[in-house]
Amino acid sequence: MAEVHLSKVVKRYGALEIVHGIDLDIAHNEFVVLVGPSGCGKSTTLRMIAGLEEISGGTISIGDRVVNSLPPRARNISMVFQNYALYPHMTVRENLGFGLKIARQSPAVIEQRVNEAADILGLSPLMDRLPANLSGGQRQRVAMGRAIVRNPDVFLFDEPLSNLDAKLRGQMRVEIKKLHQRVKTTVVYVTHDQVEAMTLADRIVIMRDGHIEQVGTPIDLFERPVNTFVAGFIGSPPMNQLEAMIGSRPAGPVAVLADGTELPLPPEFAGRVTADQAVIVGFRPENLYPAGHGIPAAGQTLDMDRTVSLSEPLGTETMLFLDFGGREVQAKMLNPRLVAPGERMPFKLDLGHLHVFDRASGKSLRA
Amino acid sequence: MSARMIEQPWQRWAIRFALFVALAILCIPGLWVVLTAFRPNVEIMARPPVWIPQHPTLDNFRRIFGLLPAEQQGLPVADYFRNSLVISVTSTIIAILVGMMGGYAFARFRFRGKKAMFLGFMLSRTVPGIALSLPLFIVWSRLGLIDTKIGMIVIYLAINIPFTIWLTDGFFRQIPVDLSDAAQIDGCTRWQAFWKIEFPLARSGLASAAIFAFLTSWNEYALAAQITRTTNAKTMPVGLMDFTAQFTVDWAGMSAMAVLIIIPALILTFIVQKHLIAGLTFGGVKG
Amino acid sequence: MLRSPRAIPYLLLLPSIVVIAAVVLVPVLVSLWSSFTPYNLTRPATLFTFVGWRNYQRLFANADFWWAFGRTLVFVTVALNLELVFGLALALLVNRVTTGRKTIRTIMMFPMMFSPILVGFQFKYVFNDSVGILNNALFSLGLITRPIPWLVNGALANFSILAAEIWMSTSIFAILLLSGLLALPQDPIEAAKVDGCNPVQVFRHITLPFLMPFIYIAMTIRSLDVARAYDMVRIMTNGGPAGRTELLWTLIARVGYQNSQMGMANAMGYVSILTSIAFTFYFYRKLSLSRRYMGGAE
Repeated sequence: MAEVHLSKVVKRYGALEIVHGIDLDIAHNEFVVLVGPSGCGKSTTLRMIAGLEEISGGTISIGDRVVNSLPPRARNISMVFQNYALYPHMTVRENLGFGLKIARQSPAVIEQRVNEAADILGLSPLMDRLPANLSGGQRQRVAMGRAIVRNPDVFLFDEPLSNLDAKLRGQMRVEIKKLHQRVKTTVVYVTHDQVEAMTLADRIVIMRDGHIEQVGTPIDLFERPVNTFVAGFIGSPPMNQLEAMIGSRPAGPVAVLADGTELPLPPEFAGRVTADQAVIVGFRPENLYPAGHGIPAAGQTLDMDRTVSLSEPLGTETMLFLDFGGREVQAKMLNPRLVAPGERMPFKLDLGHLHVFDRASGKSLRA
Repeated sequence: MSARMIEQPWQRWAIRFALFVALAILCIPGLWVVLTAFRPNVEIMARPPVWIPQHPTLDNFRRIFGLLPAEQQGLPVADYFRNSLVISVTSTIIAILVGMMGGYAFARFRFRGKKAMFLGFMLSRTVPGIALSLPLFIVWSRLGLIDTKIGMIVIYLAINIPFTIWLTDGFFRQIPVDLSDAAQIDGCTRWQAFWKIEFPLARSGLASAAIFAFLTSWNEYALAAQITRTTNAKTMPVGLMDFTAQFTVDWAGMSAMAVLIIIPALILTFIVQKHLIAGLTFGGVKG
Repeated sequence: MLRSPRAIPYLLLLPSIVVIAAVVLVPVLVSLWSSFTPYNLTRPATLFTFVGWRNYQRLFANADFWWAFGRTLVFVTVALNLELVFGLALALLVNRVTTGRKTIRTIMMFPMMFSPILVGFQFKYVFNDSVGILNNALFSLGLITRPIPWLVNGALANFSILAAEIWMSTSIFAILLLSGLLALPQDPIEAAKVDGCNPVQVFRHITLPFLMPFIYIAMTIRSLDVARAYDMVRIMTNGGPAGRTELLWTLIARVGYQNSQMGMANAMGYVSILTSIAFTFYFYRKLSLSRRYMGGAE
């Protein structure tokens, strides 16, 4: 059993504190992704779990052992590095077997475990090559092989795909996911790419400036972001965010946009907003669509005619840019047809999927 | 690179000619000394000069080793050679070990006073040998280290350490820190990670640092000339001066000895030239 | 990356520090002390007589010292600059040929492995007026009828030691600058050509700025051991004829060891130490600055 528990973990370099006491519980065999912009402390957190950085405060435990003062080798973890960190003077076979050799396993055991890992990752034809003679994707696979050979309690991944091109990144993402399904282990995975986070994670941990902003399943984070940062970070293209004031109407509260448009709020916000409160109203591009070119809203919609300033055809969908509520927003058009700039079209905004955040704190006003 | 430039034939020949002249200037003085080492004295003094040796001979070498009993007595060149070898090899091995530790510290750790310390090491190397020899002479004579091999070994240690630090710092910095991290996660202690991963990768660089240190000791004169006196510790470069009297120079003997000094240096330099340049520039540019 | 107890780097550096302290730091302090005494090798007790600035006052009133000091500065400045110019020229030449670059570089390393004492001997031989190759060659070509006294005439002797010094050290510049040229990215050069630069402008505005850190590395390395020239001069002229090639270093040796005036010699030694440190520090600063400009780390 290998749960990982972080309790009030702090990292300081001298006077500079870069991780501010984070708490996180990772379950056995769970795939957790730490995601956030660069400098948010995600890699440092991972390196503290690995034992490559000292922990300045708080405790980290793996299984039921507190590992704060244990060196990396005593933690039974393995790690895939951003630059793979393959040993350049060893062949693929030697790279894979190195950890077992250090652990003084018998040559027969090493041979067998190395071959197993090589089979899983399709490395068998490359076993006698040096890392310098491998492609990026192959190196990536060797790095993963080196990690699984040792049968660790926890896998750590530090931005493993960021050095690959877009196509290869997509392939390797699938391979990592398959690998996890096959070799059930606890995984902590760091990335700055929200697509990787969404596709891989059982649970996502969003970090910013050394704090955890939100922890949840991908769908959770997508549908119920707790603040404007998470709302803007998860989802591509990002959520449209408009400044608004709350007005009270007989039918319920509305958000009044800069251009005077009034958006009736979904019932879940009733009682959680006050009149004249400064808020941010958010909606995802897929909830604003040309009539007949979107997923029909279950409830009320706001209908309007708007001029399209720019269109980006992506094949299965086309992104449209238009002015709404005093600024430019993005809409998503399904079953697209050719749209010329300047064309005026009828749009529908799905009012059931509005998000409302307090403008001062950025926090979601949802119950 | 430059092949992409459009070159006229005459330009190409001009460049080749200029290069040929430059390289000739670099080679001829040394070649002349080597040729002299294999000439009989008559030929050296001949006028008009004899360009190509007509009677090549090994007598000059036999003479300086005292193998020609007939005429002059030999100089203790064998002793000088042994002293040079013992002093250079010992000080090189220790300098590499000690300097490697220092270079590793600079390459891998952040610590207070790092920049000042690095500069301090470099500046210690700038003290001119002859200026350093004065106080060293005073201190060494009080410690009884004058004219001992151990005295010279310690001195060369100090001369070679700063440069070894500079070179190894550069070599270790070329090795990604991740490799040591990965090794520690694979179950190594930091000590094992160093010996199994970082040391093998830096090995060729360390070898060239070693050869550089060896050459520095092997070739040094200013300090050795003052600190050594007798066959106890006198090194080859100091011994070279035995061939000059007040007004006369034994050109043949000196040339033979020069060849003995240059051959080991020649061989070693050619072995490591590539690494040496990489080490110097890398250490410097990427600072 | 403070990933381990703070003591480790200091422990790793400790042996180096101990050795440098014993062989350089302590002696340099002894040197400082003895420069304030009338210490004479023949009378050991004089090491403990403090005479204040007397050595320095005598030194600064001594014309021979100023001549040697000035000659040393001129010698070093001229030598370093010429070595840079010749080294750069040689590097550019080698960079222009495509075949045999490795062999050429190997030949270029030839003078680097020579002991300075050997260079001195070699040029003493080359410039010798009766058996030297230079006079022999000039005779054979019929250019001279009487031997030229290269090492006997004052002006010619200075020229000769300068030639020997340049022969010894041009290679270091050439090799370091060549590695700079080989690392030179081609994109900016091509961009400059497209923008209409002629070869001279490309060199002036692209190549040279890129080479600056390499130039400073070479200068720093050279300034670390310019005093190696002592060995060479010691054997070629030993300051002669009649003190006309006397450099600070040969003067120190003469005063300290031949005249046994250690106190005075140490005072001069201190002047030479401070001068060397100033040279090195200057180039090191330049190197740091140009590195920052190149975007090097820390």
